[in-house]
Amino acid sequence: QRGWLHSGPLLWLQYVDKNVKLKVGKHEEHRGWLLTVDPVSASVVLVNFREDGASVRVVMGHAVEDVEVLQESDPETAERLRLFLLPPTTSSLDP
Amino acid sequence: SISTSAAEADAKELQREQRARSALRERFLRCLLTMTNKKVQFHMHEKVDVEATFGASDIDVLNFQVSDLHTPIGVQKEALIRCQDVISFTFDM
Repeated sequence: QRGWLHSGPLLWLQYVDKNVKLKVGKHEEHRGWLLTVDPVSASVVLVNFREDGASVRVVMGHAVEDVEVLQESDPETAERLRLFLLPPTTSSLDP
Repeated sequence: SISTSAAEADAKELQREQRARSALRERFLRCLLTMTNKKVQFHMHEKVDVEATFGASDIDVLNFQVSDLHTPIGVQKEALIRCQDVISFTFDM
């Protein structure tokens, strides 16, 4: 099995918008919705939604041991993740 | 011939890969933009946790520029954090 660092963008893309469990080092584990993987550093961005916002964890690519999909993406969460990235300056021009 | 169709398949594959790469990278860069001026907790090796205000990252994600870095021996006004020393970092939205 190839390491996470060398998995490549096509494989990384398959995890986007899915709920994953990330193994970090020997003893750490993190869960969340996978926002993206930086194709340069292989770092993983996980989002956990809360009532008043969200907490974000970025795990550096060199520390990622294993990624496991817990839940497939659903349209509602995918949209929430997409909105999460939009700049807050754009507002609707509807009257 | 076989070699031209193989070359075409390679080009197609490369194009697919580049498209994936740019989609992933754009999301990551937007995430970095969101972090600007936010309080970020860095989790380093040996269970060292430090807090700082995020400034910027270089394009290779080798260093983070931060302000008000709270270390066990005091507050560093401006600092660079080597990404190799970081395991993960967290912030709230």
